[in-house]
Amino acid sequence: MKRLFTHPFVKFVLKKAVFYLIVAFIALTFIFLIPRLMPGDPIDQMIPPGTTDEGRLRLKAELKEYFGLNRSRLEQYISFWANLLQGNLGLSMDFRPVATVVMEKLPYTLVLVIPVLFVGFFIGNWIGARAAYIKGKQSEAIYFTSILTSQMPFYWFAMVLLFLLAVRWPIFPTGGTFSPRFIPTLHPPIDVFLDMLPHYGLPFLTLLIITTGGWASGMRSMTLYELDSGYILYARQLGFRKKKLISYASRNAILPQFTGLNVNLNNLIGMTMIIEMVFRWDGVGLLALNAVRSRDYFLILGTFLVTMVVVILGNFLVDIAYGFLDPRIRTGREG
Amino acid sequence: MIGITIVLGIILFGIIGPLFARDPLQLNPYHVAEPPSSEFILGTGDLGEDMFAQLCTGTRNSLMIGAIAGGFATLIAVLIGGIGPYKGGLGDETSNAFTNVVMVFPMLPLLIILAALFGGGNASMFLVATLIGLTSWPWAARCIRSQVLTLKEREFVNVARMSGVKDRKIVITEILPNMLAYIIVVFVVSLSIAVLTEAGLSMIGLGPDPSSNVTLGTMLDFIGTGSTQIALPWNYWWAFIPPGLVLTIFLVGVFVMQSGMDEVFNPRLRSV
Repeated sequence: MKRLFTHPFVKFVLKKAVFYLIVAFIALTFIFLIPRLMPGDPIDQMIPPGTTDEGRLRLKAELKEYFGLNRSRLEQYISFWANLLQGNLGLSMDFRPVATVVMEKLPYTLVLVIPVLFVGFFIGNWIGARAAYIKGKQSEAIYFTSILTSQMPFYWFAMVLLFLLAVRWPIFPTGGTFSPRFIPTLHPPIDVFLDMLPHYGLPFLTLLIITTGGWASGMRSMTLYELDSGYILYARQLGFRKKKLISYASRNAILPQFTGLNVNLNNLIGMTMIIEMVFRWDGVGLLALNAVRSRDYFLILGTFLVTMVVVILGNFLVDIAYGFLDPRIRTGREG
Repeated sequence: MIGITIVLGIILFGIIGPLFARDPLQLNPYHVAEPPSSEFILGTGDLGEDMFAQLCTGTRNSLMIGAIAGGFATLIAVLIGGIGPYKGGLGDETSNAFTNVVMVFPMLPLLIILAALFGGGNASMFLVATLIGLTSWPWAARCIRSQVLTLKEREFVNVARMSGVKDRKIVITEILPNMLAYIIVVFVVSLSIAVLTEAGLSMIGLGPDPSSNVTLGTMLDFIGTGSTQIALPWNYWWAFIPPGLVLTIFLVGVFVMQSGMDEVFNPRLRSV
């Protein structure tokens, strides 16, 4: 048992786990603080407009009592954590538990985020590694395209795609998750899948093109950097084949790309939320927008909380995967 | 060079453009949703807004928000990413750990809820810029930290330290002048990120109040008041293509400028 904990990889995982627990602690404390530091009283926003002054006062006292806001800050903080650990995030405005509502939408967001993260990573790095090796016009064209796609505003690109592929040439539906009047619970899973697929096309394509461009331009410069280093020049002079050279260079170039997965995941989740709003894709992003519109207080905080937890878990998994891939961390020997 | 030219070009457009264009908020009821013509160079919106005037003023306002937000972000980054590593020890470790923790936060969702709770679509440009600045510094802090760490070990700084120059004087006379170009690049990149973020927020109706402010984002407003929502299905391409193009050109310009500057700061990249 003792040897297990001293194993370098286990140590690495534990260290990361502690770090992300601290992050989660700070983030959740921050969620506790936001409504309490905000200018104005959130309770005021919950009172429907048109209430008389007397009714307003009584409703306010009632709501304060209900939410426990008349207790001390410390007590509030402790019960915040107690509720959180029980998965109780409060009720949304339609009197359903926030946790249930968000969890219903989460799969729709993950079904965009996870494939885009991996497919974009592989395609982008593949293109980038090859673009580094070929010279001339073709290479520059790839480089320019990858910079353009990675730098242009993703929401605008989504609108342009929507305009071109759904309005001008109606290949894809203009939005939504299912066809109008299609109720997924009434159909067998295969029909649900087939109905969802065309709706999935545009948001997926938008996110994929944007992330691929970012990976490709990063990988191109990393591979160029590696191709310039001593071991490659030596291997080239020894007469190694092109394929071998690329594989050596890209193996070293891809390690920093893996560390980029963390940042990319964080950006991707934010991007997905806005893309969902553009295409009316029924995920956490659209839920957040609707919550913001109806000033559904607990739902706004709940969507952010769940996003936060997903991001932290995702980062943790990416870090572990990185530790597994990097032999220096896996075996505990310095390179 | 190309990057700097593009960036300066867009900034000049933002400064000079509004001087010659009409009032961007004025509605022309006799010219609703017209395609580009000689009178309205970029056509009019669905309420009769002059799109060219909106584009000029929008560019200026977006750049202003970007400058304020970028300034905030750079300031925080210099304080957190600069002082800690220079002093070293516990201060460095806490500031670095803090940056790492904040790095994990998903900034766009955070901004969405902050903008919703603080502004709710009626915010001033300054408030939006402040929120963006307060959430976008970690990247800049990291860049500045790494630069300070390398500068700190350079000979001229060591010589100054060994000859007994006070810390404050070393920072002012040795480190800051060498950091200045780098800080400017960090500022410009932060500015461009802020412009992009503001447009994203405005696009979902959480940016500055669209009835009194025009930015590149409010022109793309797809979800809030939703002028683009009408423009899209009715083929009013002139209403949403130009602001996105200006954004894209600006961001590509900043990216090219940044990679050019990276080569200056990291000579090994130069041969590539």
